[in-house]
Amino acid sequence: MDTELNSSLSLKRYVGFSILSLLGALFVAWLWPREAKTPEERQALAEGRVIITYWARHTGHEYEARKSLIDEFNRSQNRIYVRTVVIGSRIEKLLTAIAGAAPPDICSMGTSVLAQLALQGCFTPLEDRMKECPYLEEKDFFPHAWKMVCFDGHVWGIITTIDTTCLLWNKNAFRKAGLDPEKPPKTIAELEEYAAKLTIRSAAGIEQYGFVPWQPWDQTFLWGVMFGGKWWDENTGLLTCGSDPAIIRSLAWQQSFSIDPRSNSNPPYAVDPARTSQGRLGGAYQSANNPFYTGKVAMITEGEWQCTFIPKYAPDLDWGVAPVPQPEEVPPICNSQDGVADAIPSGSRHADEAWEFLKWFYSPRPDGRPSPASDYCMLIHNIPPRKEEALQERFIGDPKFGVFVRQLLERPAASFPTIPAAQFLSDIMDEQREQLLYRVVTPEQAAQTIEQATNAETRAAWKLAGRINP
Amino acid sequence: MTRMERRNLVNGLLFASPYILGFLLFMLYPLAMSFYYSFCQYNVIAKPIWIGWDNYHELFRDSDFTTALYNTLYFTVFSVPLSLAFSIGLALLLNQKVNGMSIYRTIFFLPTIVPVVASAVLWLWVLTPDGGLLNGLLLQFFGIRGPGWIADPAWSKPSLILMNLWTVGTAVVIFLAGLAEVPKELYEVADIDGAGPWGKFRNVTLPLITPTILFNLVMGLIAAFQYFTQVYVMTNGTGSPAKSTLLYALYLYKTSFNYLKMGYASAMAWLLFLVIFAATVLVMVSSKRWVHYHGE
Repeated sequence: MDTELNSSLSLKRYVGFSILSLLGALFVAWLWPREAKTPEERQALAEGRVIITYWARHTGHEYEARKSLIDEFNRSQNRIYVRTVVIGSRIEKLLTAIAGAAPPDICSMGTSVLAQLALQGCFTPLEDRMKECPYLEEKDFFPHAWKMVCFDGHVWGIITTIDTTCLLWNKNAFRKAGLDPEKPPKTIAELEEYAAKLTIRSAAGIEQYGFVPWQPWDQTFLWGVMFGGKWWDENTGLLTCGSDPAIIRSLAWQQSFSIDPRSNSNPPYAVDPARTSQGRLGGAYQSANNPFYTGKVAMITEGEWQCTFIPKYAPDLDWGVAPVPQPEEVPPICNSQDGVADAIPSGSRHADEAWEFLKWFYSPRPDGRPSPASDYCMLIHNIPPRKEEALQERFIGDPKFGVFVRQLLERPAASFPTIPAAQFLSDIMDEQREQLLYRVVTPEQAAQTIEQATNAETRAAWKLAGRINP
Repeated sequence: MTRMERRNLVNGLLFASPYILGFLLFMLYPLAMSFYYSFCQYNVIAKPIWIGWDNYHELFRDSDFTTALYNTLYFTVFSVPLSLAFSIGLALLLNQKVNGMSIYRTIFFLPTIVPVVASAVLWLWVLTPDGGLLNGLLLQFFGIRGPGWIADPAWSKPSLILMNLWTVGTAVVIFLAGLAEVPKELYEVADIDGAGPWGKFRNVTLPLITPTILFNLVMGLIAAFQYFTQVYVMTNGTGSPAKSTLLYALYLYKTSFNYLKMGYASAMAWLLFLVIFAATVLVMVSSKRWVHYHGE
């Protein structure tokens, strides 16, 4: 009797366990990634089209603009369907995807991390494919923009957008301070004079900041360039800023804007670094509370995307744009630090289809309209990296946006070093600038630390890749 | 082993197999691999290159590592005891027989269930030097121009410690359970002996909640050494100003995911494990002297 009961019990148990296992397996199968995730993708698959994955770096309205153009491509196609996924700027996701043999077919990347990732074998070189495309030759691009995607003798991406920096000023603040709202400062001496006049102090602190060189974020690279400094040697791929007098002068100048607690003769525009670091003047950057929009800061150095942001977040702001002031003796130069590029990751399963899409995106449309890439720049107010497109009336003709673009046509441009330690360089510039403002280091020490630490990091990156820094 | 025992063993293992597999695949394997990588140069994509103890040697020459270790120790040394004292105080208040106590308890527990990122963003606004809530209140009610808080190297770590007090809800709940365990008779005896509130707290409550203090101390230590999310959100992952909030976990994250030095970061992770392990052992050994269990 007992044995019978036991065996019927264990039979029941096994049947129950089997059903549970089956349900579990079905659940896992339901969760398993499928090739088509949306009705559009299922339709594309049914039509026999190849689905390729595009990882977008831009988010928010910038992503929406990109998506609208990709939708246009998808409508025009009977062979390829592009799926977009917003990833943002986190590089570890790309690394893990490549390591896991499931990379996207195209990814959009900040140019500052391109060399770092390329050295580790993350991308497919594009120069051979680009040679066959009439609109993607070196001569089509601004020289500095082309260099942003070139590293170690290869071209690793197609540059989509570039930026330049200008001085933005609040015309109402100028009027209140008795300054001509149509006459922005042109030299560093004038910038200091205006900053002093525009800094309004009260018992409760500073009501209005005239100008803060490290707002809205660290601008150490920019100021080095504006003072005529040379951050690096393009031939060796190593930094040379440690002994560059102009870079050291720019660092000392930034320091002069921070109050020295041991001194009784601080300049009238000097501010407390502990109250003015990135994001600490109150209000999120991309919001109506941005300190420049609210009038907390009267002048700021910013990029051309503000031509979209200000009408959106502060439509009533009366503002102007001019080239960034420079020391009188320094020849005019334009800061065009970074860009965003499209690259094909190593191991992409549909590299040919990915290239097909990129060719469409960067070529003028068959009906004569400009390329989707330039439309994208227009939609998000970024600068097209190809000269001919930047010269289009819709870019150059805009009274404010045109100022950002014209700089590239009238002045040489400086961009961030294309080195495998670019992310490290950006971080250490920020760190050393902070140490400088708190007077922990001198301008000379900061310049030397930036150079030595970054070069050590660059050499280590080459060594890790089994190579020697050429 | 009889046939029945063997069958039971197989059945038992079969039922436990999801956990065993999960543990082997998602816990033991990554642990073992991270230990191996700590002796390698490794960037995720390329094959790891064995370099022996180099990563560990390098750590002691790395000034950022020393800074991160100092910042983390500073944070832990001040934050853990303060949080303990604060949560005991709150638990004592919330243990009173007052109408609507469950509502008060809920209110004090609420911050604990606010998502960490959301609370970090909220605190960013509270601690903004100009126009922030805290400095606004200080100016309005006391006429004091408050410090730069999280933006000032001298105040940034105290700001984090202050912020950490906001989420003591879990510790408070555990202390409340501990307080409920204290036998009423002992208070009656203390009353008869003429003990005042302080005397009762010092000689009855405190000794009898020492097991709970020990638990919260160990958990607090582990959490403090691994403090990351808030500081990552509040400093945009930089550890600014002037590296004053570069905590150990943040530096580890930067090393691995910004600079892709996974081997070096693995060495950092194992060293952190050793530090936490040593601190826990120290607390456990010392606990024999100050923890009193019921019935002992």
